[in-house]
Amino acid sequence: MSLLSVRNLRVTFPTDHGPVDVVRGLSFDLGRERLGIVGESGSGKSMTGRAVMGLVPKPGRVTADELTFDGQDLRGLSEEAMRGLRGPAMSMVLQDPRFSLNPVIRIGDQIEEAMAVHGRLGKRDRRARMLDALSAVRITDPERVARLYPHEVSGGMGQRVMIAMMVVLEPALMIADEPTSALDVSVRGQVLDILADLVDRRGMGLMLISHDLNMVARWCDRILVMYHGEVVEELAAGALMEAQHPYTRGLVASLPKIDETRDRLPVLDRSRL
Amino acid sequence: MIRVEDLSVRFGDTQVLHDVSFEVAAGESFALVGESGSGKSTILKALAGQVPVAGGSLALGDAAGAMTAKARARQVQMVFQDPYGSLHPRRTIDDTLSEPLLIHGLPDRDTRVLAMLDAVGLPRRFRFRLPHQLSGGQRQRVAIARALMLDPPVLLLDEPTSALDVSVQAEILNLLKSLREEKGLTFLLVTHDLPVVSFLCDRLAILKAGRIVEMAGVEALRAGQFASPYGRELFDRTVHG
Repeated sequence: MSLLSVRNLRVTFPTDHGPVDVVRGLSFDLGRERLGIVGESGSGKSMTGRAVMGLVPKPGRVTADELTFDGQDLRGLSEEAMRGLRGPAMSMVLQDPRFSLNPVIRIGDQIEEAMAVHGRLGKRDRRARMLDALSAVRITDPERVARLYPHEVSGGMGQRVMIAMMVVLEPALMIADEPTSALDVSVRGQVLDILADLVDRRGMGLMLISHDLNMVARWCDRILVMYHGEVVEELAAGALMEAQHPYTRGLVASLPKIDETRDRLPVLDRSRL
Repeated sequence: MIRVEDLSVRFGDTQVLHDVSFEVAAGESFALVGESGSGKSTILKALAGQVPVAGGSLALGDAAGAMTAKARARQVQMVFQDPYGSLHPRRTIDDTLSEPLLIHGLPDRDTRVLAMLDAVGLPRRFRFRLPHQLSGGQRQRVAIARALMLDPPVLLLDEPTSALDVSVQAEILNLLKSLREEKGLTFLLVTHDLPVVSFLCDRLAILKAGRIVEMAGVEALRAGQFASPYGRELFDRTVHG
């Protein structure tokens, strides 16, 4: 059975010109695997992640024929029930650790707080788990890092702290929305490695949302390509070059290559999509 | 067109650039690549006169030696990474493009603004719009147009496409390449994206911790044949993730 089943998901926002669908009838299943969702700005990829988490801001509306997580129907669940799921069962890693960590609380205390809110653990157990989680994201001296404030660590380490904060609660589903785009190229691979490792070892399901085609193609088992709120194509990992849809092909072609010799890059012709 | 010799820059007690030297010929396109904190953007800022120079010398454009800010503006202009942050939100595109002409007392503002809109591929009807009415790619076109209003021979490009969508990046890269060919511009590009260098540049310098570790032609990049271990490391990370 799949971890997450989504059928005909719609996210609608009211505007001056009537309601606008930003996600238009999306359907997919996610098992304990790495699923990539790629698309450009405005394609609805982030709203898809937020809809699953129950985090679409008002006045947005979410509807679906099916939205089942681990056998539980998420539609019409109360805010309180959703809050109980967010954290222990499903979690989200956001783009920029500088904005998603609390700047005035020490890193260790922030991670413990996540457990305290949801947890039944005593203070000493929480601390041990917090240090374990920091080690799990390959922080070599967790004792020292736990005492630091967010501004004292680099972007890459901040993002690993964010992941540690998710990991302590051992969610079954992790949604990572552009988890590496605020990071330096040199640490991106490391953060993705950690995510991939967690999926493999703990049997999590991972939804990786990104605009970076090549990265998603390298790291995910399957890719959904979104355009205008719809999935235009589903691809197996490594099959990016065999993409059929003109949008996907256009995107792939417009990327410069490391051994680029084309005089001009082909530009996506949106009028023909 | 650009000559940098033994450039050192300090912020307080921290030295961020150590004896950096390189030259860029007129009409050439040169890239500075490296990780965050390697000092690549600081070199651009030093050339633009935005950070004090602790040692070494800089020469830019047709003039040699010290320049007034106004004279420097005629020689060199900069295009920034984020088109959402680099345009005045309450000034129309026309205001933004006319301002340099006003400051430098240049005539025919009307014709020049319209000609520049054409040159960067923006419809003339955008002239009196505000930045928030434009997409990211259109804004970056405005930023490029503004940089070219005074006809400087040198453009400093600080990650000009990394905030843009892939398909929009291709449009802006094509535009930069065309403008360089048409106007014979000299480019100094800062980026961490090696494929962009491969498309747009002739040579590159690889920086690490404020020092140049390697200078190479774009052929070496395309073939993956960097001489330094750090250069090869950067290449591998780009190719294999």
